[in-house]
Amino acid sequence: MSSITTKLATAAVNRTLFNAPYSSVAIRKLFEVSNGYRSEANVIPSASWAAAQRGPDGLVTAKTFMNAGPTIGNLPKRLYSSAAAVNSSKSVIIPDTSKYRKDSGTYTSRSFAYLMVGATGVMTASAAKVSVTDFLTNLSASADVLAMAKAEVDLSKVPEGKNITIKWRGKPIFIRHRTAGEIAEANSVKLSDLKDPQSDAERARKPEWLIMIGVCTHLGCVPIGEAGDFGGWYCPCHGSHYDISGRIRKGPAPLNLEVPQYEFEGDTLIVG
Amino acid sequence: MPSHLANYSSLNGFSRTLYQTLFKRNTVFLVGIFSTAFVFELGFDTASDRIWDHLNKGKQWKDIKDKYASN
Repeated sequence: MSSITTKLATAAVNRTLFNAPYSSVAIRKLFEVSNGYRSEANVIPSASWAAAQRGPDGLVTAKTFMNAGPTIGNLPKRLYSSAAAVNSSKSVIIPDTSKYRKDSGTYTSRSFAYLMVGATGVMTASAAKVSVTDFLTNLSASADVLAMAKAEVDLSKVPEGKNITIKWRGKPIFIRHRTAGEIAEANSVKLSDLKDPQSDAERARKPEWLIMIGVCTHLGCVPIGEAGDFGGWYCPCHGSHYDISGRIRKGPAPLNLEVPQYEFEGDTLIVG
Repeated sequence: MPSHLANYSSLNGFSRTLYQTLFKRNTVFLVGIFSTAFVFELGFDTASDRIWDHLNKGKQWKDIKDKYASN
């Protein structure tokens, strides 16, 4: 009897509890089932229960079967299984997690999190700014191009009443040291007589120096200095006449000769 | 330090001040991020330029300019 009790206890530990009534036949049957042993002499024809748990591949992963009569006399046999009962006095035990907890306080923990977020933001902002500025720097002119973009002229070597021509960005630049008579002549022209009205003061920052791009505004020829009907420049290609201020007076050209950006540094002229 | 005492430490007090002044309002937090990024970039650029100049001492134009250019 004690070994049967042990078997019953084992069955209970195995999370299956058979609450079968204590009839000798049923107990023997239970004993045989739990031992995988069957006494051939005492086979009792009876109803059987069998349950099989199948995995997704169809294989039987667990199998429970029991042969026992469904009734004892007139009484239906109660046969059920349940999960092992939980000992409630021990179910609320909380493991000690102090070893794994942070040593820092609440505010330190939160501030650290925000600090990390902020540091990531700082890195992202810097990276974004640098990529934009690097991209734009890449678009701007390099130092050698910028150095070629300016031309310096020593004006002290240009005598009064003379032209010189220099090259700037692949184009000729006319520089004329005008006499007082030429300045007066340029100022005496009425703006209403001009095709492209511009006063002489708009074209020459210092009246004695006239600086222009030497490209005819008609089709891009280079005009000839000290020629033409108006004492200025004359374009031989299609006969445009420019006056002593470089303004178009006669011929097909639509605009005055262009004035580049320039500045004076003492006796030196910097074009560009 | 036991965790139940950490809430009263000086570090936690500092963290609390930091949180109240800098992190609590999103506008202040964002302004802080951008200004820190500005300062950080200044410092980073200066430091990296200095390291570069140190590693390439005597090789750059500004180091040998005196030999070739008069002014």
